[in-house]
Amino acid sequence: MSLDTRAPETTASRAPRSARPARRPAVERRPVLGAFAVLGYIVMIVPILFVVAAAFSGGDSLKFPPDSFSLKWFVAAAAYKPFMASLLQSTELAALATLLALVLGVPAALALERGRLRGKAWVQGLFLSPLIVPELVVGLALYQQLIAALGVSSFAALLVGHTALLIPYAVRVTGASLALADPFVEEAARGLGAGPLKVFTSVTLPLLRPGIVSASLLGFVTSFNNVPLSLLLQGRKFATLPVTMLDYVQQSYDPMIASMSTLILAATVLVAMLAERAVGFAKIFGGINR
Amino acid sequence: MLSKKSALMLLAPGVVFIVLGFCVPALMLLFAPPGVTAGDVIARLGRMLQDPYDLAIIWRTVGLGLLVTVLSVAFGFPIALLLARSTSRWAGLLLALAIFPLLLSNVVRTYGWLVLLGKNGVIGQIATALGLPAPQLLYTETAIVLGLLQLFLPLAIISCYSAVAQVDGGLEDAARGLGASRTRALWTVTLPLSLPGVVVAATLVFAGSTTAYTTPYLLGGSNQRMLATQLFNYSSVSIDWAGASAVAIIMTALVFLVSAASAALAGRKGSVA
Repeated sequence: MSLDTRAPETTASRAPRSARPARRPAVERRPVLGAFAVLGYIVMIVPILFVVAAAFSGGDSLKFPPDSFSLKWFVAAAAYKPFMASLLQSTELAALATLLALVLGVPAALALERGRLRGKAWVQGLFLSPLIVPELVVGLALYQQLIAALGVSSFAALLVGHTALLIPYAVRVTGASLALADPFVEEAARGLGAGPLKVFTSVTLPLLRPGIVSASLLGFVTSFNNVPLSLLLQGRKFATLPVTMLDYVQQSYDPMIASMSTLILAATVLVAMLAERAVGFAKIFGGINR
Repeated sequence: MLSKKSALMLLAPGVVFIVLGFCVPALMLLFAPPGVTAGDVIARLGRMLQDPYDLAIIWRTVGLGLLVTVLSVAFGFPIALLLARSTSRWAGLLLALAIFPLLLSNVVRTYGWLVLLGKNGVIGQIATALGLPAPQLLYTETAIVLGLLQLFLPLAIISCYSAVAQVDGGLEDAARGLGASRTRALWTVTLPLSLPGVVVAATLVFAGSTTAYTTPYLLGGSNQRMLATQLFNYSSVSIDWAGASAVAIIMTALVFLVSAASAALAGRKGSVA
């Protein structure tokens, strides 16, 4: 949670410091740490920049520097049916799984934060358990038990898997925003004569809102980008975008993947900016990393 | 506060879903894959642990996982420390830049290494321009390590950042004022106090890098198999359920072992992460 407590403070805490002699930037003062940090950023960011550069290539194979500048691979990616079909299906799956995870997870977070229950730690552990088992293993288990043994459709199995994966985020992130709020506000509303439904809609729900927004954004992105879970569960009728892209890399060495990746990058930047405006970018991750 | 009855009613749908949609299938994986008995799975697991080819895959997974963990902390901790202590106006942007990759698809992030390390990639072209033979970088363990480091560094930074930000910067100043060098203050004050966060970072990175699929698939190819790519191979190419289950058990056991060790370590330090 320290991420979000810090963010709003930066402007306030800078004011008194400016009275002291100006500090030099941290990187200059600590050359060894600074060198490690620069290398770290290079590893994180540089490959992404080269994906963008390759996307504007005019050549037919991935080559650097590209032979010519062109937008033709963007046009090709937008016209490539498997990409567009799986883009729609991934969006649909991510939206439904996020919704379902919230519908199941928010009441659970409410009960865990506000309920008088014995064995709370166990129930909490149960809700977080899908995070501990490797996703590929969950995918294999659901493939064997739902698709192979019961004949469930690929889409239904994907929905179950993705929802199970997102529930821990929903419970944790909304629980964190609830834990920050004073439960006596709800008691007070009750004491003033509000019924349980009225208390929920006019007090609890507004308290939950930042958590729900964070959990929705995080859930959607997590599901949309998922590979290990979708890998074994998707079938001929229903395919997700990341797995379709992986298959394409195996077949062809042309820069179409770079263009598709650049489009995804642009959309992700948009989501990040949306998150920044809605709840604060760093806050989204504050809730899952305590 | 909610009454016991309404709390249970709120919990019930979620509990039922997790138990039926996750716990039961995950346990069945161990005891009853379709058409195979638990005995077959255990026997297969036993043979795997004696077979040199399978053991090489297990050790490669563990070894690369440990290497990526050490590197992630070595690069992630300095970044977290500098960001947490910096008064620069760029710190906020740099923090956002470190977190942003977590939102971006692993396929997109990993594909960058194909552009860099591939046959006609950036590094190969530079080598050729210099008159050197183009090095084989793709489909090597080096490529896998670079790819995994890129993937998990943001996670390490966030965990270390939470811990470092909670350590009072005044303590470092005090150590410095008492005559400790900057390096000594870091190693004897800041690092020990932020150790719980470092342990969390290491656990998350190890669990993630030993179970990641996209990276070894794209950057390791078929000659640098890891447990994740081997599991896919058994379940989708050779349709060997006992083999797939056995690999799944090894992968899960590895993650559980490390999580338990880290929880024990955190408990002993008297602080829970």
